[in-house]
Amino acid sequence: MLWLALKTLAHEKARLIITVFGVAFSTVLVLMQVGMYIGFMGNATNIIRHVDADIWITSKNIQCFDFTGPFPEERINRVRSHPQIWQAERLILTMAMLKLPAGGVEQVQVLGFNPDSGTGAPWSMLEGGINDVKGGRYMIMDKTSEQRLGSLNTGSIWELGGNRFKLVGLSKGIRNFINAPIVFISYDRTKELYPENQTSFIVVKVRDAKKLDSIVKELNSQLRDNDVYTRKGFIYKTVMYWTVQTGMGMGFFLTAVLGLAVGGAIVGQTIYTNTMEHLRELGTLKAIGAKNSDIYKMIFIQTGISVIIGYTAGSLFLLMARQGMEKGGVDLYLGFWVFVPIFLVMLCTCLLAAFFSIRKVRTLDPVMVFRG
Amino acid sequence: MVEAMNISREYIEGSVRVLAVDSVSLTLRKGEVLLIMGPSGSGKTTLISMMGCILHPTSGEVSVGGKLVTALCEDMLPDIRKRYFGFVFQSFNLFPSLTAAENVEAVLRLKGQNKGNVRAQALHLLEMVKLNHRKDFYPRDLSGGEKQRVAFARALAGDPPVILADEPTANLDSKNATEVLSLLKGLAEGFGKAVAIVSHDPKTEAFAHRVVFMEDGRLKT
Repeated sequence: MLWLALKTLAHEKARLIITVFGVAFSTVLVLMQVGMYIGFMGNATNIIRHVDADIWITSKNIQCFDFTGPFPEERINRVRSHPQIWQAERLILTMAMLKLPAGGVEQVQVLGFNPDSGTGAPWSMLEGGINDVKGGRYMIMDKTSEQRLGSLNTGSIWELGGNRFKLVGLSKGIRNFINAPIVFISYDRTKELYPENQTSFIVVKVRDAKKLDSIVKELNSQLRDNDVYTRKGFIYKTVMYWTVQTGMGMGFFLTAVLGLAVGGAIVGQTIYTNTMEHLRELGTLKAIGAKNSDIYKMIFIQTGISVIIGYTAGSLFLLMARQGMEKGGVDLYLGFWVFVPIFLVMLCTCLLAAFFSIRKVRTLDPVMVFRG
Repeated sequence: MVEAMNISREYIEGSVRVLAVDSVSLTLRKGEVLLIMGPSGSGKTTLISMMGCILHPTSGEVSVGGKLVTALCEDMLPDIRKRYFGFVFQSFNLFPSLTAAENVEAVLRLKGQNKGNVRAQALHLLEMVKLNHRKDFYPRDLSGGEKQRVAFARALAGDPPVILADEPTANLDSKNATEVLSLLKGLAEGFGKAVAIVSHDPKTEAFAHRVVFMEDGRLKT
């Protein structure tokens, strides 16, 4: 039946092209939505994932990483006094205005880190090093910010929060969810932009990762004015905020479902039309001894092949378009764990759509072939 | 080879009960050409459909190769059709997306013939019907007579002992019709096939070993 399915499919080239186009279109739509969503969530949790910490301590009741509040920085001493804490560092995350060379200002997200420990430092450097921010008003910006800020050249002077800062390094591929350019400066210099003696986060490494949950529980009870999260917990909180509380996740989900529906409808319709137009041949097959299951197999093989070709075409198109999209500021995550599950979902949707044809074949009476 | 024993087939059309075939008993023997004649609507095609295990009789029995097939469930009938029957249809019913050789090949594959051998077998069958030179032609590029010869080659695929032909000459000119009928007679006499032809063309009689007439669903004696 594979042979016959392939022969029939190849013979009806126009129909195959329409089906493949439909699947490819649907693939692009779904992959783009899912890839964009994962890309956005990747950006939203970028810093949490790259800071080498087991625990994040934040101000009370924050919504997500980006909307943190200040709390007294000496609270780090209480954290360090816990016997299971190996290392604790403060990070300041704040928004500031950056004056552009051509005039005008841009709001940027500033992350203050300790260059000696490197905790919270940019993890992917193009030019300069993280230690270059030490000892003065020095900053590192990300190459992707050029779209918003114009050309970024090390050695250039910028006005950040009313103070002149020298650009000493360039990182690459570090973005946040709110799409504001990220500026890395030393923790001490960030204090100039932040309420006095306050900090945004305390990030903690524990001695024994197996005791992580109990340590978090203990810290939570000791630090009543703060929230204490495991790294995974903080990632989850941030992702859930952007996905559920803002309604953004539903938007992506609905568009992805729409894409699937479009693909399913096109495949279902072409396969159904194909079945209707070839009822006589299918009846002949039944008359000469094909079982219903043989013909179902043929229809499913044709559907499967259309999905494979369409999905491959759509995926290749998106992989080629990805670079251009990223240049335009859209991060698209397209990995194995996106391609495989979406392929399976797409295949199931199209096979379900082919069921309309199956119903027709089931009731097809082979006696019809004797009618002239 | 095929025996119909007192078979009937009844249809309900709206509130009307139609008896398409009424208590017909008929035997199709090995090596003979049986011609079933009768006017349109006399039940010839319904009879041949039941003898070919495509249609279940409402009552009566059909046996094929000594096996009672009316007792078998619907799911087993395709296997009986594959094993025992080759069909030739009035409107050829070739697969338009397949070439002449591939049309034959498709049936050989369906009948579970060795895949490495099906191409050679298909070409051999086309040679038998003198159509080897058209093996790569699609049905749309063949004449009516050529299409019917491909249909014959297809019916012979897998060497079935019974050939059932429904109005095989209806769409052919008299030269092609004669060729096709000679071919059918040759299959019965030369290869021992049991051949049943349904036709209302009187010229067919000359090629049959036995002729039965049907009228209003019954065999006329």
